[in-house]
Amino acid sequence: MIPAIEQEVGTTTVESRPQPAATGRAGPRIEPSRLRRKADLLVALSLADMRARYGRDPLRFLKWMLDSMALVAVYLVLRTIILDRGGPAPGLSLACAVVPFHLMMMTVFNSMMTVRERQAIVLNVGFDRILLPASSACTEAIAFAGSLLLLFALMAIYLVGPTLAILWLPVVMLVTVTFTVSCAYPASLFGIWFPEWQNIARSLVRMLFFLAPGIISLNEIPAGAQDWVKLNPLTGIFEAFRDVLLYGDSPAAWELLYPLGFALALFVIFLPIYRREERHLAKVI
Amino acid sequence: MAGSVANSVVADRVGVRFWFDSHRRVTTPGRARLAFHPQTTWGLQDVSFGLGGGEGLALVGPSGSGKTTLLRVLGGVLAPDAGELSVRGSVGSLLSIDAGLTPTLTGRENAVLLAVLAGLSRSEAREALPEIEAEAALGEAFERPASSYSQGMRARLALAAAEQSRPGILLLDEVHEALDHEFRLRLVAHAEAILAAGGIVVAAGHDHEILSRLCNRAVWLEEGRVKADGAFREARDAYLKAHAAPAPG
Repeated sequence: MIPAIEQEVGTTTVESRPQPAATGRAGPRIEPSRLRRKADLLVALSLADMRARYGRDPLRFLKWMLDSMALVAVYLVLRTIILDRGGPAPGLSLACAVVPFHLMMMTVFNSMMTVRERQAIVLNVGFDRILLPASSACTEAIAFAGSLLLLFALMAIYLVGPTLAILWLPVVMLVTVTFTVSCAYPASLFGIWFPEWQNIARSLVRMLFFLAPGIISLNEIPAGAQDWVKLNPLTGIFEAFRDVLLYGDSPAAWELLYPLGFALALFVIFLPIYRREERHLAKVI
Repeated sequence: MAGSVANSVVADRVGVRFWFDSHRRVTTPGRARLAFHPQTTWGLQDVSFGLGGGEGLALVGPSGSGKTTLLRVLGGVLAPDAGELSVRGSVGSLLSIDAGLTPTLTGRENAVLLAVLAGLSRSEAREALPEIEAEAALGEAFERPASSYSQGMRARLALAAAEQSRPGILLLDEVHEALDHEFRLRLVAHAEAILAAGGIVVAAGHDHEILSRLCNRAVWLEEGRVKADGAFREARDAYLKAHAAPAPG
């Protein structure tokens, strides 16, 4: 059995199989076997990361739910007692922001450490390092799927019945995960380039929650500030979750398209930089 | 089987460069560009050699001479910053002191990950687990985290996982020196089988006895450059002579 490794990085050529004869077709071809290998590797890296970070307890999905629940509880106290703000189903409204934010935050934190935490394999084996940040996002996406239970539990507690708008939920989740994966690459580069600045970066990431309608919904924010808050791509994601789960409406187009466009911009800027830098990762760790 | 392609390695004036940030830490070139006065140095420079099927190459030289860096370049862990490198064949590597094992994962979990990294599919990796478990001979420790393993146990597990991909090119960086006598013999037998099947073995280390059994040829590296390249005994003797302590008096 010969592994299907065929890669060309800079001036290195590594081949494990004879190159197929030229067919005369121009442009790169996506070979199913290479895609399968990448998918296998991504799953293996994600499962290993999940076990390393979250253990092997079959009840760990409860922990993921409790993580988000604890955050919701803290902000619920802040909102209802300290700030004396009511509003419809405040716990559910908060959870619609906390659950996707938790995914983004944990992915960024995990990605900043991903190369160093995997130094054992990075230093020993040649493989496609572009998968490392993606696998960090996948690990947290599994936790994210577990914490969705919290949203449904809160819908039941607040007696908010699902409407047809809930059919948008997979789309909203897909946008959220895409945005999160796009954040993983700059976060990973930041962790490699500025390891001593990681604590400040963590604080800045947490600040993004408060620069979006996290504690209160967008329509509760003063009109003059709403346009500024909309610049934060998390705003669209938080509001899309509220539309689908709390208000029973379809999400507005901008709520999905703006985070998607933001994600695309991050991919366009940071994927090529990561591609260039990944060749040097083993020197840094 | 050492692969269905003719295994070969051709290095032509290969160089590997290291960049430092303002804290004098090794960094990437992208980050170095952001520094006011980035410093650089070459870990390898103008390294050229060729290897064909059936050849075993020992890398000898003092610590810091570039042996590990060269093995990492051959293993695809690092890309050369200068020159050209062509590696034909599937590569199995034992390059780091922890042999690629993640400390928090069990032996079983590490075995699956290493086998997938070596090129197997996940289902193939799972099917290979009983064989890896038997080959590594870790007993109950197979279910324990790798952080509880000795260096030799790690090397045994990593070798057993690497064997599953039937590498045509085997890279060893001093890891074999941590193995006990029994597994050294097994490693030597494994390396000899690779060589007999037209594969390539490249090994670095300071245990010249075991290197002499695996390699018919040696490259002596000194400050990142090839100082000598030839038959194992000649290159090794030249290196030892150059580094021999002066006679007292």
